[in-house]
Amino acid sequence: MRRVAAVARNTFRESVRERVLYNLLFFAVIMTLSGLLLGELSIRQDAKIIKDLGLAAIDLFGTLIALFVGVGLVSKEIERRSLHPLLAKPLSRDEFLLGKFAGLGFTLLVNVGLMTGGLYATLLALRRGADPALLKAVFAIYLALLVTVALTLLLSILTSAAVASVSTLCLVIAGRYSDVILNLGDVVPGMPAWALRAVMILIPNFRNFDLKDRVVYGDPVSFGDLGWITAYAVAYTGTVITLAVIALRRRELT
Amino acid sequence: MTEAGPAVDIRGLSKSYRIGHLRGQRRQALRDLSLQVPRGVVFGCLGPNGSGKSTTLKLLLGLLFPDSGSATILGQPIGARAVRQSLGYLPENPYFYDYLTPNEYLDYAGRLFGLPPGARKDRARELLDLVGLAEAAEVHMRRFSKGMLQRLGLAQALVNRPELVFLDEPMSGLDPLGRRSVREIILRLKEEGSTVFFSTHILSDAETLCDEVAVLRGGSVVAKGRLDQILSLDVTHMEVLVSGLGPQEVSGLPAGVEIFRTMGERLVLHVPETQLGRLVVAVEQRGGRVLSVQPVRQSLEDYFFAEIGHPAKGEAWTAGA
Repeated sequence: MRRVAAVARNTFRESVRERVLYNLLFFAVIMTLSGLLLGELSIRQDAKIIKDLGLAAIDLFGTLIALFVGVGLVSKEIERRSLHPLLAKPLSRDEFLLGKFAGLGFTLLVNVGLMTGGLYATLLALRRGADPALLKAVFAIYLALLVTVALTLLLSILTSAAVASVSTLCLVIAGRYSDVILNLGDVVPGMPAWALRAVMILIPNFRNFDLKDRVVYGDPVSFGDLGWITAYAVAYTGTVITLAVIALRRRELT
Repeated sequence: MTEAGPAVDIRGLSKSYRIGHLRGQRRQALRDLSLQVPRGVVFGCLGPNGSGKSTTLKLLLGLLFPDSGSATILGQPIGARAVRQSLGYLPENPYFYDYLTPNEYLDYAGRLFGLPPGARKDRARELLDLVGLAEAAEVHMRRFSKGMLQRLGLAQALVNRPELVFLDEPMSGLDPLGRRSVREIILRLKEEGSTVFFSTHILSDAETLCDEVAVLRGGSVVAKGRLDQILSLDVTHMEVLVSGLGPQEVSGLPAGVEIFRTMGERLVLHVPETQLGRLVVAVEQRGGRVLSVQPVRQSLEDYFFAEIGHPAKGEAWTAGA
């Protein structure tokens, strides 16, 4: 546990010094603030637009951070061989991977926290009230980001940085439009139902984590709903991290 | 940790890599390699680039998996955590984290060994002094030269005061001062009782430092043992530096004298040991001066070229840098 914490601490320290992180955060702030301008154009809808854009910014830029910082951190360790002297120390491959996951997870927690703080600050500055329900949507976004981080770790171990970035992005997009997969049976009539079900299970269903509209438009989100998506995130992330551990154990580090 | 037995005991290690676009072909990197490295020595693993030195180190560290064979380190099988508590490793051309400072990186390394905070801080300061990076302790490593990264690589390999240190091309990228400093560190480690296993293709380093060597070629050991077992320590000839001789005087020197090199008005002459007296007299009779006389023994470089021949395709030797 001590060694996992050491890797996590180092991962956090390195990732918060990555320039790409600040570029993404800058754009996230711009996007949140642009809600102010759009809100001015929509009579009485400004709070909803600010919430909508703010949550979308947290989701989009959180995903980009998970993708680019995540893939970069792990692939670089393997490709530039900075991993070699670490594994010559009393650090197992499993501990390294879990430390990376924890470090990236913590980096995202801080970033999501900052962006959420920015969204609440904007709402309070305009006297639109700090709606606590937004936190439910933010929590769901954070779970989705952990799933994304797990996928980036797995794919970074299996492939190069470029391929891992593209393939994770494809999985994220596919997961966000998983309803299209359900309708594939109509488009490809001969496709067996079990194949569709298998694809649905394999691809992370990011639609489960999208509570933005429900929260912004005041639809209730129960703790039962949150519990269900948490269980899904834990199961999916756990499976992917287990596969990543197996892949790293078998990976030859040339 | 088992105290008896060799520091490293390699038995029949073989390793091949998949190559080609579809990775359908295999290249044999190591063939049935067996080696024993006694404790407390400086052991040199020599060979041209591509001879299997780095592969051997990576197999011993568990970074690669052997096709066949086995090895023990300090009496334990490869990869045992207890062994890694006592190991140090400097990879070839090390790369660390761009946005960390040496102090932060050494602190990280110390944490992995479970050192307490005070010990980590003291050890980092001590090691950065040792490798000459004390003034760069708080500089981000993205600003480091290759030589500075190499020095830091050596520092991180010593964080835990290891019993056994693996150094992969430790002189690579260093200037002459840096090379001397690394040589001194290696000798100091030996004095402190550590075993140093280092790979190099720079023969002069091995000659200066190693108690024992193994020579690899094409993934196999072609010679191993103490340097005095491998090299002939008899004087092969004498090297004489003279001045004040013109072309006419040189032509009249005794038979067997060979002009090895001209350096301005000075000449470096090679002469059989038995002819030395006659050469000195002849030089003085012709108005010249003998500036120095040096016995010459077979060097590792001579050995390689005489016994092993020229490097195979894809291999490269360096006599010194």
